[in-house]
Amino acid sequence: MAYSEKVIDHYENPRNVGKLNAEDPDVGTGMVGAPACGDVMRLQIKVNEQGVIEDAKFKTYGCGSAIASSSLATEWMKGKTLDEAELIKNTTIAEELALPPVKIHCSVLAEDAIKAAVRDYKHKKGLI
Amino acid sequence: MGTPCHFALFDLQPGFRIDLEQLAVRYRELARATHPDRFADAPASEQRIALERAAGLNEAYRTLKNAPQRARYLLAIRGHELPLEVTVQDPQFLLQQMQWREELEELQDEADLAGVAVFKRRLKAAQEALEESFAASWEDPAQREESERLVRRMQFLDKLSQEVRQLEERLDD
Repeated sequence: MAYSEKVIDHYENPRNVGKLNAEDPDVGTGMVGAPACGDVMRLQIKVNEQGVIEDAKFKTYGCGSAIASSSLATEWMKGKTLDEAELIKNTTIAEELALPPVKIHCSVLAEDAIKAAVRDYKHKKGLI
Repeated sequence: MGTPCHFALFDLQPGFRIDLEQLAVRYRELARATHPDRFADAPASEQRIALERAAGLNEAYRTLKNAPQRARYLLAIRGHELPLEVTVQDPQFLLQQMQWREELEELQDEADLAGVAVFKRRLKAAQEALEESFAASWEDPAQREESERLVRRMQFLDKLSQEVRQLEERLDD
């Protein structure tokens, strides 16, 4: 299957690969996986006092579409407030990366990772 | 469903612990009997039926041979169908999966075949432990959630073992 140019770009030059200290109270970590394809995705955010995401990192073991989806997600999350970040939809990610129907679930995984990271952060801060 | 249960096709009782040897023997017998070549001179309608039966047989064999697929099928025939594409949030397990994948990456970078062998043994042990837990829990409706979690974990380890096999092949070349 042919990947779109954007997927290849993110796959070859992934943005924001890495790890933040999960113990840091300002860091939220989302860990999600897709059992059928074995993908594992970790997405982390560091939130400043103004409630803005000042850094985001990811590490994904999976196919090119899963890597590209999470790479794009971190790019889009930076500079956004938590509420704004939670509005990022898998359909927007899939559209931006021109994912074929069989790879839509990769973008769903990225959206679920965003939500999990935000939830983890809010949980740490006693917001939920 | 209209089609006979995969287990019945191979004269097996539905269950997680099955005789894989018997499955393979029976599969070969049936595959010979239903092979489309045997129907080369038959009318088109019979050829089509033979083709469908051969495809069904292969599908059934693939499903039963593989532990997570067999587990998922068992839950499905008990009325508990697990969707294929789903996001799981099983933090401790996923964290471990991530660590294992990091290790596998290092083994690949170092072309460490002995290390891969050790990794494989540990993976096999983890798979067997999951299978044992599933065999003990899947028939109990009260443990349905646990059974589902076990199937999901089995699926991850199955994928990982495929990747280990591919890595071995690359390192062997």
